[in-house]
Amino acid sequence: MLTALAFRNLWRNRRRTLLTLSAMVVSAALLILALGVFSGMIDDMLATTTRLYHGHLVLAAPGYHAHRDLHAHLPEVTAELPALAGIEGRLGSTPRLRAFGLFSVATSSQPVEILGVDPVREPAVTTLHRQLVAGRYLQPGEQGVVIIGSALAKKLGASVGSEVVVVTQAADGSIGNDLLTVRGIFTTGDSRHDGRLAVTSLPWLQHLLVLDGRIHEVTIAIAEPMTAFTVADRLNTVLPAGIAARDWGDILPEMRDAIASFDVSRMIVVGILYFATGLGILNTCFMSVLERTREFGLLLATGMRPWGIRRLVLLETLFLALLGSTAGLLGGFLLTWYMQAIGIDLSGAITPITYAGGTILPRLRAVFEPANFLVPAAMLVAVALFAGFLPANRAARLDPVAALREE
Amino acid sequence: MRGEALYLPLSPYASLLTDANMPLITLSNVYKTYRHGSLEVTALTDFSLEIAEGEFIVLAGPSGSGKTTVLNLVGGLDRPSAGAVTVGALEIASASAAVLADYRLRRVGFIFQSYNLIPVLTAAENAEFTLMLQGVPRPERRRRVTELFIELGIEGLEERRPGDLSGGQQQRVAIARALAAAPGVVLADEPTANLDSHTAEELLDLMRDLNRRRGVTFLFSSHDDRVIGRARRVVRLEDGRMVGDSTTNR
Amino acid sequence: MNAFLYAWRSLWRNRRRTLITLTAIALSIMLVQAFHNLAVGAYARMIDDGVRAGSGHLAVYRHGYLESREENLGFSPANLAAQIRAIPGVTKVLPRVYLPALAQSSHDSRGILLIGVEPEAELTVNPFLKGLSADAMLRDIDGRDAVIGKRLLDDLKLAVGRKLVVTAQHRDGTLHSELLRVRGVVSTGMPDIDGSLLMVGRQRAALLTGMQDDIHELAIILNDSDEEAFVAAAITPLLHDRPELAAVSWEKAMPNLANAIKLDYASQKFIFVIILLIVTIGVVNTLLMSVMERLREFGVVLALGSSPGRLRRLVLIEALLLGMVAAVAGCVLGALATWYLVDIGIDLKRFIPETLEFGGVVFDPVLRAAWDLAWMAKIALYVVGLTLLAALYPAIKAGRITPVEAMRHH
Repeated sequence: MLTALAFRNLWRNRRRTLLTLSAMVVSAALLILALGVFSGMIDDMLATTTRLYHGHLVLAAPGYHAHRDLHAHLPEVTAELPALAGIEGRLGSTPRLRAFGLFSVATSSQPVEILGVDPVREPAVTTLHRQLVAGRYLQPGEQGVVIIGSALAKKLGASVGSEVVVVTQAADGSIGNDLLTVRGIFTTGDSRHDGRLAVTSLPWLQHLLVLDGRIHEVTIAIAEPMTAFTVADRLNTVLPAGIAARDWGDILPEMRDAIASFDVSRMIVVGILYFATGLGILNTCFMSVLERTREFGLLLATGMRPWGIRRLVLLETLFLALLGSTAGLLGGFLLTWYMQAIGIDLSGAITPITYAGGTILPRLRAVFEPANFLVPAAMLVAVALFAGFLPANRAARLDPVAALREE
Repeated sequence: MRGEALYLPLSPYASLLTDANMPLITLSNVYKTYRHGSLEVTALTDFSLEIAEGEFIVLAGPSGSGKTTVLNLVGGLDRPSAGAVTVGALEIASASAAVLADYRLRRVGFIFQSYNLIPVLTAAENAEFTLMLQGVPRPERRRRVTELFIELGIEGLEERRPGDLSGGQQQRVAIARALAAAPGVVLADEPTANLDSHTAEELLDLMRDLNRRRGVTFLFSSHDDRVIGRARRVVRLEDGRMVGDSTTNR
Repeated sequence: MNAFLYAWRSLWRNRRRTLITLTAIALSIMLVQAFHNLAVGAYARMIDDGVRAGSGHLAVYRHGYLESREENLGFSPANLAAQIRAIPGVTKVLPRVYLPALAQSSHDSRGILLIGVEPEAELTVNPFLKGLSADAMLRDIDGRDAVIGKRLLDDLKLAVGRKLVVTAQHRDGTLHSELLRVRGVVSTGMPDIDGSLLMVGRQRAALLTGMQDDIHELAIILNDSDEEAFVAAAITPLLHDRPELAAVSWEKAMPNLANAIKLDYASQKFIFVIILLIVTIGVVNTLLMSVMERLREFGVVLALGSSPGRLRRLVLIEALLLGMVAAVAGCVLGALATWYLVDIGIDLKRFIPETLEFGGVVFDPVLRAAWDLAWMAKIALYVVGLTLLAALYPAIKAGRITPVEAMRHH
């Protein structure tokens, strides 16, 4: 009976309830949208580094990553380990050899990072093959060809078909020197890749570096990036000595911390917004309690306990909050869905921005993350109950005789 | 006022009549129905009444008989559903909202059963309210209100808020408010219903006195026999129809 | 007695409701002002770090260099550096040479960006060199000393005093190598910088490509970033007889930083808009409640001959007063909060990585606000405007009241 009474009481001042509801819905829905877009940025930031380059997990000699030591190499057969280890959600794994050198075209030269990859296995791990703006990706078995970033191509004055002189240091201490033909040009939006990365075939680079049959790392992509940490821990217990698994968090600690700090910033943003909303709810509850003083007096006079009154008022705010957060969730879902499906392209207004070692792409795109919905919804209910508490207490403490006399 | 001609180009205290032989207020064959959701309530049926300037007239009848409706129509707060209500040269039914507002402001004073003073204003400010709406400068407003307060016997209460006044005092302030703009007609809806009999009689004497001295037309509604007994002319209503109209020599 | 007084007293008739609404508006103003000022402070810090390490508040380039980073597009600073240094407001003028190069040790090789600098000026200005002692700095502009990023040092398995070879392309197209010796090591916290920074005297760098005395960039550091427009105007006449050169602001030279700030501020603005929207809904609610519970009073006021327009104005005046009081209170609170944030600041060390890179600079985890009084005033005025806007619906509602029905209301 109390429940029905509380629910009906809400609609006694329909306009006020609707306005308060609208404040709740607006704050919750826009908050969910904002959080979805922030998550989208983080997602982009992580994807630009992992899905375009690093992968989510890397197997390498224990010392390799600290300094990308040319001499810390492994046998090529290491590339079969991930399949044997049975990694859940594995999208692919691919062997890589890495060198640093100088590319020259005519009078222009640029430092580059040269990645030797397997053209068949690499596309399962990184999406570089989908980022081509000119030419084509490496073909299996093709030697002496390279795909380079668009900014690098511009700086070198190279285009598809250009010949590039490569200088690097080989593993035996000699100078590795050769010619490469540009087969394709990619653009990722990340200046660090676009201006510095060159991808060629693994055997060709092995030969240049005098490291035949050797690789530096095995890069693995998985479906759920956030599970990489536990996967790495498990792999490290089963991998043979001399090979260590590192997750993207080890490779990019700032990014891991920055993503972890998102939980804190989410709470801050939610807290600030709901503070304003909470005051609005408090106001509504107070008004509705004050204007029903006589009624509460009557209820008290007919024998209702103060606790009953308190429960009644709290139930009203609870209903209000549940309605508000349900509608807010729905609104937030629709907005997020729109921003996920359509999004906003900002590339006319701003350039990509580096953040914590990743790149925020110039677009607004939302992603669905359960916490972005759960936290605002749950907090809204908590804030409403909190805001309802003071008025509820006031109503419960009324003196029935004085309350009945009130007009 | 969107170009409409002013209905009454008259000065304060002057007659509302354009022709000395015409009644001041005329209601002829007035019908008034209200809608309450799907329910239709008839408040007045074929009601006709003529009131001359300077009359002290009471509308008597039980509650719901249509007294307040007559007052609302004469006061320009409401328009008849059928028939005509004329005050001076003003035809209430066809006047625009702005003309009616100006009519209420300059030609009519209202006194309500529950006083209806504005609680956040002082007694003097309440009495000044219509003058303020008219744009009368503050010193002039004060002067007139101070005079009225003396005349009504409530001098010294100017700075009190309505909540700090007795019912009789509040109703005197309300009378001051009704008279401040020197209207031709004062409409009072059950003005004494909330007062004890002694205060009610005092107040009636006061209003009768004002009616005589100033020539202001007073139109009351009441179901109180003491009030009815003091009026020269009593119009009786029942269920929205006139059932009697008697004048005594008093 | 006038309409303002009536409105003012009506506002305080329901003291609690007005106070709650005032609190909501004032606290929102405070939050928005404090966060804005905090952001302004953080951005100023980022810009300061960014311009000192990067292109300066203003930089002189040869046309086309900024877009292509083509090493051949150098220019002779001649006496331009001295002339610019003489402009009031200019703190330092830093000539720089940038060369893409390959750094090699006996162990490994890395692609790097060789930066040729004027050692003394650079040491006092460049935040990358913070923590580098004076005797670890390059000694002259043409020596073989090199200052190297910590990560690059480790990658190449080098140490202070050890030698490395740098190979870059000469103007004639051939590759030239130079022997350098590690003198100082810097650690900026940004892996990209630490892994690729190699600084030498500017003439040593120029020699490598046969540029003689030419430079690629003349970075100009100002006392105060607000003087940018003034200094830029003062530089223009100096470049009259050097039509191949142009002075460029940091926003254009460092789009990464400029856009990082833009994006961050845009997301903050979005939150501001939501806050103000919620507050506005709250004000609508309050004013509407206040109109609805005074129906009877409004009916009397109408009966007394007030026009609906006057009632509308009355509601708007109440909103104006509410907005103004809230704006004043909000500004006071906002100023107090800003004062605290300027003086003490917020330490985010527990929440964000200490070497968080954003827009190409290390984001200082200790945030300090900076005063932006003009903006604080502007937002306060906006809120007053919003309050008036919020009052429109209640005012219209009040204007539609019919006296007969209103007076029947209790």
